Amino acid sequence: MTISLGYFLRESAINFRRNWVMTLGAVITIFLSLLLVGVSVATGYVVTEIVKDVERKVEVQIFLKDGFAEEDMIELQQFLSSDPLVASVDYTSKEEALAKFKEQMKESPEIIEQMEGNPLPASLDVKLVDARQVEVVVAKIKSNPTFPRVADKPDNPEESLKYAKQIVNRLFALTRVVRIVEIVFIAMLAIVSLIFINNTIRLAIYARRKEIGIMRLVGASNWFIRTPFLLEGVFQALIGATLAILTIVGLERAIMPKLREVLSFLDLSLGGTVMVQISLILIGSGILIGLMGSGFALRRYLKV
Amino acid sequence: MPYMISMRGVDKFYAGEKPALVDVNVEIEQGEFVFLVGHSGSGKSTFIKLLLREILPTRGTIVVAGQDLMRLKSWKVPYLRRNIGCVFQDFKLLPNKTSYENVAFALEVIGRSRHVIRTQVPEVLRLVGLEDKMDSYPDELSGGEQQRVSIARAFVNRPPLLLADEPTGNLDPQTSLGIMSLLSRINKTGTTVLVATHDREMVDSMRRRVIALENGKVIRDQDRGVYGYDD
Ligand SMILES: Nc1ncnc2c1ncn2[C@@H]1O[C@H](COP(=O)(O)OP(=O)(O)OP(=O)(O)O)[C@@H](O)[C@H]1O
Ligand SMILES: [Mg+2]
Repeated sequence: MTISLGYFLRESAINFRRNWVMTLGAVITIFLSLLLVGVSVATGYVVTEIVKDVERKVEVQIFLKDGFAEEDMIELQQFLSSDPLVASVDYTSKEEALAKFKEQMKESPEIIEQMEGNPLPASLDVKLVDARQVEVVVAKIKSNPTFPRVADKPDNPEESLKYAKQIVNRLFALTRVVRIVEIVFIAMLAIVSLIFINNTIRLAIYARRKEIGIMRLVGASNWFIRTPFLLEGVFQALIGATLAILTIVGLERAIMPKLREVLSFLDLSLGGTVMVQISLILIGSGILIGLMGSGFALRRYLKV
Repeated sequence: MPYMISMRGVDKFYAGEKPALVDVNVEIEQGEFVFLVGHSGSGKSTFIKLLLREILPTRGTIVVAGQDLMRLKSWKVPYLRRNIGCVFQDFKLLPNKTSYENVAFALEVIGRSRHVIRTQVPEVLRLVGLEDKMDSYPDELSGGEQQRVSIARAFVNRPPLLLADEPTGNLDPQTSLGIMSLLSRINKTGTTVLVATHDREMVDSMRRRVIALENGKVIRDQDRGVYGYDD
C-alpha cells in the first residue's frame, strides 16, 4: 500500500508538469467558481442577519382617534394579542407619542416650537412573530369591526395603519434575484472548470496510453489504473479551493470592518465558525468538482 | 489433466462482414506447448484476444485457467490476466524505462511488494539471458533482446499460461530460434504456452502440437505437427 501511494503521487505530479497550461486553466476556473460560492455563502449569511434584524423591527402601528372609547381599544388589543402571528401589542398614549417625537427631534427644536398642542395620535404598536406575515395581520386588523370605530381616520381607516411592508418584501425580492444570478454564474463556472479538468485528464490519459495498455495487459486492477487520474483532478480542485479560501479570508478582513461601520445599527459579524463552515463547503465542493471532472474523462477516454 | 484452455462452439463476428472465427472447439491441457498457425486474417489474433478477454465471443463458451469468461465480471478481468503472460510482435516496452524497470513495472502495478520485485526481477532477467543488460533502455537493445525483456515481463509473475502473438514476427531466423527455445524452456517449468505464428521453419523444426486456422475455422489439430500450408 505504501508503494501504491508513492506511485500515485508521483504519477499525478508528472501529469501536472506535462499539462501545465490546461492544469492552470482548470485551477483558475475552479478558483473563480469556488470564490463565488464562498462570497455568495458569506453575503447570504450577512443578508440573512440583516433581514432577521429588520424583521425584528417590523411592526404595524394602528393610530387611534382622539377620544376613542377605552373598551374598544382594549377589545382590539385583546383580539390581536390572542393571534398566533402577533408577538406583542403595546399601547402608546398621546403623551408618550409626543415625548418620543420630541426625543427624536431634539436636533431640530424649531419643529417642536411650531407645534400647537399635541397633534400626535395615540397608537397600538403590534410586533409580529414573522415579518413576512405582515399583510395577513393587516388584513385581520382591517376586517375587525372594532377597528373603524377607534381608527384615527374613520372615513378611511386604512390610512390609520402604518407598516413597513415595502422594506421586507423588497429585501426578500432582492436576495432572491441575487441568489439566482449567483447560482447561474456558479453553474457556468463549474461547467467551464469541468471542461478544463476533463481536458487535462484526457491529455494525461493520451500521454500515458502505452503505460495504460501494458497495465491492463499485466492485470493492474481498474482502480489502480484510474486512481492517479482521479487524484489529479482532485489535486487541481484542492489548489483552487485553497486559493479561494485565502481570498475570502482576505476579503473578510478588508470589507467586514467597513460594513460594520456603515451598518452600525445592525449586529453584524462573520465569526470564526462561519469562516470554517465556508472553508469546509469550498473544500467539499472542490473535491466534488475534481472527482466529477476526472470521472467524466475516465468514462469517456479510459475504457478498462 | 484439467484443461488450461477450453473453447466450445466459439464464433466471433466483428461488425458485419465474414466471421473471424467459426465453431472453434479447442482444448489445451496444462503444461502443453501449442502452435496456432494460419494465413494473415485467418483469426489467430482474434483467438488470443478472446483468451485474454479483450473481446467476448459472439457465441460459445471459453474457460481459461478455470474461469468461465462469459460469466466473469468485468472488474475481475485484471485478476484473470495476472494468470496469463502475454508477448507480442511489437514488444510493447516502455521506452523511458530500463529492462529492469520495464519488468518491475508489471509487478509494481499489481501491487507486489518492493522485496518481491527486488528478488524476482533480476532472477527472471537472468533466466532470459539479460543479466548484463538490466540497466539498458529499449533503444540500446537489439530486437531479440527487446523480445527477451518482454518475455521476462510476461513470465516474472510466474503465470500458468503464456500467450505469444507472432513473437518472432520482427526477428531474423537465428534470433527467432533463440526466442523459441526460451519459450520452450519456460514451457518446461510447467507453464502452458500458446504461440500464434506464420513462421513455417520454426513450426516444422519444433514438432509440437499445431492448430491450423483457415478463414476462422480449425482445419487441423495434430500433435507433433508441421506448418503444412503450401503458400
Ligand atoms: N477489430 C476488428 N474489427 C473488425 N474486423 C476485425 C477486427 N479485428 C480483426 N478483424 C478481422 O477479423 C479477421 C481475423 O483477424 P485476425 O487479426 O484475428 O487475423 P490474424 O490471423 O491475426 O492475422 P495476421 O496474421 O495478419 O495477424 C480478419 O478478416 C480481420 O480483418
Ligand atoms: Mg494477428
